[in-house]
Amino acid sequence: MLTTNSKNIPSIIIVVIALGAILAGGFALVGGFDIKNANHRQNNSAANEGAKTKAVQPVTECYESRETYGAVTRIENVVPQYGYPNIKCSKTTAGVLWYGDPFDGTIPMGTMPEINDSTHGDFTNAVVRPREPHLTYFNMGPNGCVTCHDGKTVPFPKDKKPRLITMHTDIVADSTQLKHGRGAMWCLDCHSATNRNKLVDRQGNEISFNQPQRLCGTCHGNVYIDWRAGIHGKRIGTWAVGGKKRWWVCTECHNPHTVQVNRFDQIKAESPPPLPRGMTSANYE
Amino acid sequence: MSEEIIKTNIEADGVKQGRRDFLKNVGIASAAALVASPASVEASAGSANPDAGITVAESLQGHFVLMSDQEKKTAIERLEKRYTAQYGKKTTVSDVPAPKGVLFGYALNISKCIGCRRCVHACVQENNQSRDNPEIQWIQVMKIPKGNFSFAADKLDTGYPKSSKLGDYGVQVGGNAYTAVGGLSPEEVQNYYPQDEAVPDKNYFYVPVQCQQCEKPPCVKACPVRATFRDPNGVVVIDYNWCIGCRMCQLACPYGARRFNWGEPNIPPEEMNPKTHYFGNRPRMRGVMEKCTFCLQRTREGRNPACLEACPVGARKFGNLLDPTSDVRKIIATKKVFRFKEEMSTYPKFFYFIG
Repeated sequence: MLTTNSKNIPSIIIVVIALGAILAGGFALVGGFDIKNANHRQNNSAANEGAKTKAVQPVTECYESRETYGAVTRIENVVPQYGYPNIKCSKTTAGVLWYGDPFDGTIPMGTMPEINDSTHGDFTNAVVRPREPHLTYFNMGPNGCVTCHDGKTVPFPKDKKPRLITMHTDIVADSTQLKHGRGAMWCLDCHSATNRNKLVDRQGNEISFNQPQRLCGTCHGNVYIDWRAGIHGKRIGTWAVGGKKRWWVCTECHNPHTVQVNRFDQIKAESPPPLPRGMTSANYE
Repeated sequence: MSEEIIKTNIEADGVKQGRRDFLKNVGIASAAALVASPASVEASAGSANPDAGITVAESLQGHFVLMSDQEKKTAIERLEKRYTAQYGKKTTVSDVPAPKGVLFGYALNISKCIGCRRCVHACVQENNQSRDNPEIQWIQVMKIPKGNFSFAADKLDTGYPKSSKLGDYGVQVGGNAYTAVGGLSPEEVQNYYPQDEAVPDKNYFYVPVQCQQCEKPPCVKACPVRATFRDPNGVVVIDYNWCIGCRMCQLACPYGARRFNWGEPNIPPEEMNPKTHYFGNRPRMRGVMEKCTFCLQRTREGRNPACLEACPVGARKFGNLLDPTSDVRKIIATKKVFRFKEEMSTYPKFFYFIG
């Protein structure tokens, strides 16, 4: 297959170049066509060829559930027994399709509080992909958000009154219109005022960004119970009860800053199935 | 094969042939096929014959379930050797038996499904489906408009049979013969929505359909050679080498879950999954049926199916129906659950739920 491709590519390039030259000639005849544009056209076609050969290479920068949450990188030969990469991604959307090693890059979920219900959340073998290492803006270093929010560079806020914030508009476009809680919520209801690397619950306890469920669950109790029971949310790994599973936490799917608009942000669909033989469109299917 | 020869003959001549010519060609073609068949099974992988990869010994082997342990071992070694040579990487064909005390069940949340089709393509990656010519996908995602049982004044009058001089007959609440109420008319279902579409569309809901792993599978009843059967975990599997390609099971299946290899499957060697199971994802031949097996090469060893792991919203749940603490049993106990085409009495182990 590869050999035929390598044979075909030069001929295709020749044909494209010839076409480009013919087109250029035609345009030149019609209205004083600049030869530079013709060159540009040829360069474009060459770039297209390059893109085609690149498309054979697997996609390496992918995302799981939320496109803006952070990239997952494909690493080759994570499972040497079968030559599996850690993930395989879609060539069209860069969504993660397939896990060679479902526990790649995960850490234990940590202790979860017992709640008095019948769900019996089984967290002994639960692992999560940690979020805290990704709390970086502008490659600012290991201190994370505290690099700026240290009380001096940016002073700690005195109260929880909503105000217009000019920073971080990529997260919240208009802070007076926060799309969570229908006007009843403010940033500091979830983010710690004095330690920006942590979340904070209503009692003032600091909560790690790796365990946002402990914060979200304080308001969204019914979903939290379903999540603990294994009904809501995603988990991969073994199917057996009590087996090792990677759990998806709340913010891996939901964007808490815009959740009121979209519970789950729209993503691009993968390619459709082949049409039945003899059909050229699905218009009258 | 003979059909293809005839087709090419007709195309080459460029004229429509008479019935006598047609019959003559059938005779010639079938005779040619008969003469060619011993040669074709022995031919090497490089030849033009699409069935070339299959050796004589493989085509003569018996039903896998009825084989002795020694025969199974030989058959698997033969397959591993062939796949390793064909795809240029070490391929393992496992025959891990079904775990005891397990009945596999699946639950899918249609209020969560966003129709991104990642499950479809994860399945293709995992189960070595043919990528093009023929392109085979085991899961199909239906996009269905959201309906509503509206009792608004302007809709109350629609959908009833027109009154005639004989009087008003028939009671029909909403919808009519052409437009069903609730948006569940099969004419409204879209299976081929384009790949760049942003999903989910708020006016639609999405229902992925794959093999429902029925407790009373009509496909098993239809198979004349028992190449497809229900395994101890309740998964309907196929012995691809025993399948004769009659496609009776495809007709029998009410869910459209079975796929037929119309041509020699095309799997790029770099994308081929080398961890296979005899009844699961090992590469198929031309002319055999295939379908979802709940990824039994994974699930028999304790791992979740590939479609579940790919789902970005966590709409898919898999587990042991005999374990009351499993996710699937909890869903059946607490959520609104339905089975697809329940009226067919196939008793699927694939449950759709809301909530």
